[in-house]
Amino acid sequence: MKMSDFLPEFITRHVLFALIIGGVSGIAFMIFLIEFDHYTSTEEFCTSCHSMELAAEPYRNSTHYKPDSGVRASCGDCHVSEGVFAATWDHFMGSKDLYKQIFGPDYDDPVINALHLPEAAFAARKWFKDRDSATCKRCHVKEAIYGERLDTLQIHLEDAKDKTCIECHYNLVHRTIPDEKTFKRDKWNEMIEQEFGLEKGTANKLLKN
Amino acid sequence: MAWSKQAFFFLLIMSLMVLLSQSVLAAKVTLEPSSWGLEEGKACVDCHTKSSSGLTHQWKNSAHAKANVNCLDCHQAYEDDDDSMEHEGSIIATIVSPKDCGRCHETEYKEQKGSVHVKAISVLKNKMPNLSEHFGARAGYDAGCAKCHGSEVKVRGDGTLDPATWPNTGIGRINPDGSKGSCSSCHGRHQFSKAQAREPSACTHCHTGIESPDKAIYETSKHGMLYASHRDEMNLKSDQWVVGKDYSAAPTCVTCHMGAVGKMKSNHDVGMRDAWNLNSPVSEKQYLVIFEDGDKRELSTTEELPRRGETIKKLDGTEAKVKVVASPKRRRQAMMKSCLECHSKGFTKNSMQQFDDFVELYNDKFGKPAKAIMQALYDNNLLTPLAFDEPIEHTYWGLWHNEGTRARHGAAMGSANMAWWEGMHEVATNFYGHFLPQVKSIAGKKGDELIKEHLMESEYHEWLNKTQEATNVLGFDKGKPHEDE
Repeated sequence: MKMSDFLPEFITRHVLFALIIGGVSGIAFMIFLIEFDHYTSTEEFCTSCHSMELAAEPYRNSTHYKPDSGVRASCGDCHVSEGVFAATWDHFMGSKDLYKQIFGPDYDDPVINALHLPEAAFAARKWFKDRDSATCKRCHVKEAIYGERLDTLQIHLEDAKDKTCIECHYNLVHRTIPDEKTFKRDKWNEMIEQEFGLEKGTANKLLKN
Repeated sequence: MAWSKQAFFFLLIMSLMVLLSQSVLAAKVTLEPSSWGLEEGKACVDCHTKSSSGLTHQWKNSAHAKANVNCLDCHQAYEDDDDSMEHEGSIIATIVSPKDCGRCHETEYKEQKGSVHVKAISVLKNKMPNLSEHFGARAGYDAGCAKCHGSEVKVRGDGTLDPATWPNTGIGRINPDGSKGSCSSCHGRHQFSKAQAREPSACTHCHTGIESPDKAIYETSKHGMLYASHRDEMNLKSDQWVVGKDYSAAPTCVTCHMGAVGKMKSNHDVGMRDAWNLNSPVSEKQYLVIFEDGDKRELSTTEELPRRGETIKKLDGTEAKVKVVASPKRRRQAMMKSCLECHSKGFTKNSMQQFDDFVELYNDKFGKPAKAIMQALYDNNLLTPLAFDEPIEHTYWGLWHNEGTRARHGAAMGSANMAWWEGMHEVATNFYGHFLPQVKSIAGKKGDELIKEHLMESEYHEWLNKTQEATNVLGFDKGKPHEDE
């Protein structure tokens, strides 16, 4: 018996080889993507840039890092979408962070980092909102937020019925930053200057550079 | 002719009454009801009934709720307000300042704006940095001084309120919007009950203890005694609360210091009716200077009386034009109006006479000589300029600030015990038992000279010379026996 007896005529030996090679490499590529997304979503990978280490400091004191239950959310759990295609896309888009890390301002400098942090926060909040807080919902189910008081569940089911997590729950993990609408650049700069013992006006100069 | 004389006085009184006649009711909010009840604010309550049911319950029982004033009406903020924040889609502020309350309660805002209460922080800053910094430190100031005097609320760059300065409802609080004071100092949020603010406790949660012992004084006065017995007859919830008309069982702090009396309206400038300064080493009668910008300051009668239109310094250091000056006599008259609702003129005048005599006795016998001797000790470099690093400075401080204040306040409000045993008696014990011996030990011969110069000329202290005159007060039966025995 020959294989050609079972296969349509156009599947020649070459085509078959191509299909097998294509299929295997396709699978390998998918596995690669999954692994790649996994690896690039870890705290270890993200904080390999010093600038991200600065963002991670407050995270390590947050309940998302050390909850009573021991369930730890990694960087990617919140900041990278579910599913290999979406995750890959997020990483692809996220590569602009890498571009900025290399060619942009010196985000590794704690002062520069803190000065630029609000815009990063606003962008992140928008990202969550646009996705209906999808990554929050990986773990959190609105119908199951019992909290410590009965009212907590009621509030989530009734008052927050049409709201998405991020609309109320921001400033949970990273450094506290006001909402974009009430953010005051001059006050923020002043605070950072005081924090690092810098002369008044330094922040403005640094931002212009 | 007797008749024409009577008619003359009748007309005089009538015309004075017409001049003074204004509404006796607490100032009504004159805005259109459409000015509040923001649509956006109606939803707050749904969630807050669950998340903070206590405060929502208080609000539900308030006159605000009945008038459809909702959370956002008071808590609304503009995006560029220093302390504004986004909350559930609205721009709000946690702190509701007097300026915010003044959006509707215009009269009260105007009155409190120039009052002695809003200057409670300047009093701290200008007079006694020693206490806050040397006796305490930041945390002591925050939990102690600032809780009554007020904090300078700081909004941090990240929009949060500095926990050292908030929560705080001190009466002179400096708010992020620049306004001064805190209405909730006396008007507990979120019910804002009239009855609660008319209770003595609205004042005595701060006016108690060493610096302002008025709680204990009021409670041990005849007025306090009557109040305790007849609290249920005080008509505290009444819309209008004019003494002699709506209640008469007893006066509370509010009655005499800011309440409506006859045609005299109530006023949120609480210190207006005080003629004396009773919280100083030596008491002086005080003018009340009212500036054209609405601000006010007190000025001792020992200082030059400013004229109308003259530009003088305000307490905050800036200058302003004088609009009018109220004399201590005028201020006393305002105070006496409330007395006269229950007491006769003679009774009232004599009571005030007893009070004035007591203050002058304190001044002349202890306050002035102690101050003069301390001045001489500093002038002769017998004391370091730093306060409280030498025992006598503590003695002197206790003399006028602790016991001296208690004595004078006690006399002002008719508490015999506070005026005498816990007041003047303590002053005397301190003065003869600690202060003078310390003067002698610090200054030696110079001390004896100072005591002679400032004390021995005065008949008040003559008894010190009669060292051989024995009495039985200490129980040693020396000298002439007591008459009873």
